[in-house]
Amino acid sequence: MGDLSSMTPVASGLSIVTKRHVIAPGLVTLRFHNPHIARSTKEGQFVNVLPKAGFLDPMLRRPFSVYWTEGDEAEIIVQAHGRGTGILAETREGELLDVLGPLGRPWMIDSEDYMTAVLLIGGVGVASMPMLTRALERMEIPIQTFYGARTKSLFALDHLQNLHLATDDGSEGYYGSNVMLLRSFLEKGSLESPKIFACGPTGMMRAAQSLAAEFGIPCEVSLETEMACGIGICQGCPVLNEESVFQATGRRYRLVCTDGPSFKSEEIVI
Amino acid sequence: MAAPDLSVKLGSVTFKNPILVASGTFGYGAEAKQWCDIEQLGGVVTKSVSWKPRMGNPPHRIIETASGMLNSIGLANVGVHTFVKDKLPYLAKFDTKIIANIAASSAEEYRDVLEHIEAHAVENLAGYEINISCPNVKDGGLSFGTSVERTEELTTLLRASTDRLLIIKLTPNVTSVSPFAQACERAGADAVSLINTLVGMSIDIYTHEPRLNTVTGGLSGPAIKPIALAQVYQARKSCGIPIIGIGGIVTAEDAVEFFIAGADMVQVGTANFVYPDAGVRVASGLAEFMRSQKIERVSEFVNSLRVRAELKAAGW
Repeated sequence: MGDLSSMTPVASGLSIVTKRHVIAPGLVTLRFHNPHIARSTKEGQFVNVLPKAGFLDPMLRRPFSVYWTEGDEAEIIVQAHGRGTGILAETREGELLDVLGPLGRPWMIDSEDYMTAVLLIGGVGVASMPMLTRALERMEIPIQTFYGARTKSLFALDHLQNLHLATDDGSEGYYGSNVMLLRSFLEKGSLESPKIFACGPTGMMRAAQSLAAEFGIPCEVSLETEMACGIGICQGCPVLNEESVFQATGRRYRLVCTDGPSFKSEEIVI
Repeated sequence: MAAPDLSVKLGSVTFKNPILVASGTFGYGAEAKQWCDIEQLGGVVTKSVSWKPRMGNPPHRIIETASGMLNSIGLANVGVHTFVKDKLPYLAKFDTKIIANIAASSAEEYRDVLEHIEAHAVENLAGYEINISCPNVKDGGLSFGTSVERTEELTTLLRASTDRLLIIKLTPNVTSVSPFAQACERAGADAVSLINTLVGMSIDIYTHEPRLNTVTGGLSGPAIKPIALAQVYQARKSCGIPIIGIGGIVTAEDAVEFFIAGADMVQVGTANFVYPDAGVRVASGLAEFMRSQKIERVSEFVNSLRVRAELKAAGW
């Protein structure tokens, strides 16, 4: 079998890992050198990363939101939960990643239907939130962040602001779900004209969707799904449109990779 | 030594090199444009197109398996009217050949789609690849692909509708591919392409549920390459028309194996999902290989498998 990593990539980029930071066991950030990705990625876009450049198993890339960019370097946050992400989380400084990107569409922060950005984060759904926070700060939009995790050690708090933490085990902040915590703020009316930007496990996203509907506030959700190509070819990452969207567009599905990863929560079935 | 000549001729059509991208792994060209120099490919086999648009199957449509993947996309496509209006004119701008892949649920639908494309043909449309082998739709062409008689009837019917290349894409989900390749030859096909995906499945052991929405799906990728090679070899021994080899090709070395086994051209499929420019990488790697081996033309190693006489005599 030929060694693919020795072949010249066209646009997909072999990128050297310059920093590996362990947040908790199995949860790391990987910083890599890739000027194109570092300089052109917008908040909410993702990259498709090969766990081990040039090998055939695992074969497919894994999608990751870009966690941070600085100069010619970009970062992803990796939680080891399967074989591919397990291998990726073990990548060392000086090793090569094969990174395709930036892909997908950014968070819709330009919509004029809100005054306060509410970042609703579950676990490793934090991945796109530092970039989102930076973009919102530049637009001088107030931010309130409701961040839930299983336990205290699993928070990745860098670059976030105005934090309201919640843990499943009560080890930090509110004892319970971040959605319940947000609900209490909404009931008190203490957030001025909010819009929810949500990313987390499916259950949290559904709860965000109903919460937004109940309080009549805009909500955008960033979806994570199995994906092969990441560029709209394989048709492998469909998300079901709400009936009204289907009626209006004739499209039963949209693709998470090229139509998303973020969607208006009222337009899709989670 | 002069640069190797990668061009190959299939019927009356000359391709600049023998590397095509497989249907369903390259969209309609536009999706990969940013990542791949399309003009370095021998040709593009487009995503299957049917008469009406198809929405495709519900998620999950894709599951990775060892050195491969299962898919159950369900022939999601824009339909032939959008295809001739938007997709074909886009691909017409490139200096490469187009092969339109057609999927349908009846012989009449295959014919109607083909004739509609024929009526809107562009100059670089080389021909058609007929998908009679999709395992992921209940009303799909696999009922043709698993019956020798229906394969032959359909090929005869479509042959009457076009003078362009008519390529029949065969399924490996049969006892032997030989009678199917022979039926295609009898009915006037210009070539057969093989293999389409193998029926496979994957199970979540905690929920006891299948990991794909349709329970089973089509297996592709390097995992199936040895099977594909054996089927190409089998087809080569049993028919006289050109063969386009498909199945797990990632590198030029993989492609060369297919040529040696008897393929005249090859298609790069699943590898495009990892490297959108995989076909170009294979084509340039092939030129490199030919230079290093002092081979001037691809035809010099097509069907060059050395099998000892006594093995051949024994039916291997």
